[in-house]
Amino acid sequence: MTTVLILLLLAIGAYFVAVLEAWVSKGRFQLAAPLFAAIALLGRESILPRKPDRLFFEVGPVLLLLSALLAAAVIPLTPNLIITDLATGALFINAAMVYVLVALLMAGWGPDGAYGMIGGWRFLGQLIAYAMLIVMPLTAVAMRAESLVTTQIVVSQAGLWNIIYQPLGFVLFFIASMALAFLPPFDMMIAKGELAGGVEAEYTGMRLAVFRLGRLVLIITLASAIVIFYLGGWQGSGLPPWAWSAVKILLVTAGMLLAGRFMPRIREAHLLYWCWILGIPLALANIFIVGILVLEFP
Amino acid sequence: MTAQMFFIGFFGLAGVWFGIVVFRTYSMVRSALALLFSQTALGAMFLSMQAEFLGVLQIMMMATEMSIMAIFMVMFMMDPGGLGEMDMTHQKRLSLGVGITAFVSAVAVAVFVDWGPLATTAPDAVQQTADLGLELLGRSMLIFETAGVTILTAMIAATAVAIQPVKKASCHES
Repeated sequence: MTTVLILLLLAIGAYFVAVLEAWVSKGRFQLAAPLFAAIALLGRESILPRKPDRLFFEVGPVLLLLSALLAAAVIPLTPNLIITDLATGALFINAAMVYVLVALLMAGWGPDGAYGMIGGWRFLGQLIAYAMLIVMPLTAVAMRAESLVTTQIVVSQAGLWNIIYQPLGFVLFFIASMALAFLPPFDMMIAKGELAGGVEAEYTGMRLAVFRLGRLVLIITLASAIVIFYLGGWQGSGLPPWAWSAVKILLVTAGMLLAGRFMPRIREAHLLYWCWILGIPLALANIFIVGILVLEFP
Repeated sequence: MTAQMFFIGFFGLAGVWFGIVVFRTYSMVRSALALLFSQTALGAMFLSMQAEFLGVLQIMMMATEMSIMAIFMVMFMMDPGGLGEMDMTHQKRLSLGVGITAFVSAVAVAVFVDWGPLATTAPDAVQQTADLGLELLGRSMLIFETAGVTILTAMIAATAVAIQPVKKASCHES
């Protein structure tokens, strides 16, 4: 029952992300637009490229959707509304999210096209840049909660949310999440103006619809992860827990989409440079500071 | 217990099968990802054996590592897409012999070594994670630190070997 409910909520969330994304990028608020876009995609012919690696071509988009869904399984929306409260929840989110990379590599390699392939490898370069900035801030979060269990992490923020307790970690994790979800300005692998759509270039119809759905679910899952790790999850006064979760997730999603709008795209090599020269030392400093804070003011 | 045995066996066979697929394909990317799924199956075996942390860690680490290996294979092999169906294996007799010997000795170790009394119940996953952390910072710290530093040294050495020396343009040239 919980699983069905969470899947339904994810579907609604993904729809809102699509509306928000169109609103942010095109400046028009059209509530029905994603519905028509989906119908149009499903009605279009799903072209199979010449000499594809058929297995990868078919599995890529599905794996993208699947990894986002798996990560969502350990995210609590209220104290009880969670599919499975794993003992290694925070690590599990990370493990599921790594398969986004595998999905993009498969989808890029599969169609036997240069644009898709380069797009896929670009994401690999991007992963080497952002991966540490996902793991290291999470380490600091787990240090404060003294647990990897996601519900425990939320409960640990009862007194003070992590965004205030470890703001540096929040900023790093937020940026890394945007890179993981290949949102602008980190969208070199699927941007229309780059490589004619990159990984998406050879996909049409049904398969493209699954790919785009996977990306929308990925964005909403990452926004939920930011909410439970840094914004106190379901906690808040005046509203019921589920409402707090919904409001926070929507605000974070809007923030992620808006943040990229006013920035030029960053090449993965430059991202790699900045993440390793500046990001990782900052993340290490964050772990050190949080370590002292945990000892002094738990 | 029977369901647990079934899943351990299932993922074990899946791991072996993907391991065979590594050598049955011409495409380097397929080969690398088959190795990834072989390792993922091992992670799933850990999960079936109620070693949650190890399982999730294995599943997480291998995805990045094998993807990086895939790009190296594409960069350095002559026929990365495998469209030319070029045979990449060599020294078949030797490798078969080594493989069979290793397999037999591994099975022999598994069967003939006295492993002590079997654990009937595993501690719960939260406790396991805590125990593992204490183990890594206690008795096993030296081993892990040594391994970590060795790997780091190997990576720096490999990079140093791979980078082409840059000749500084002298004023006589150009």
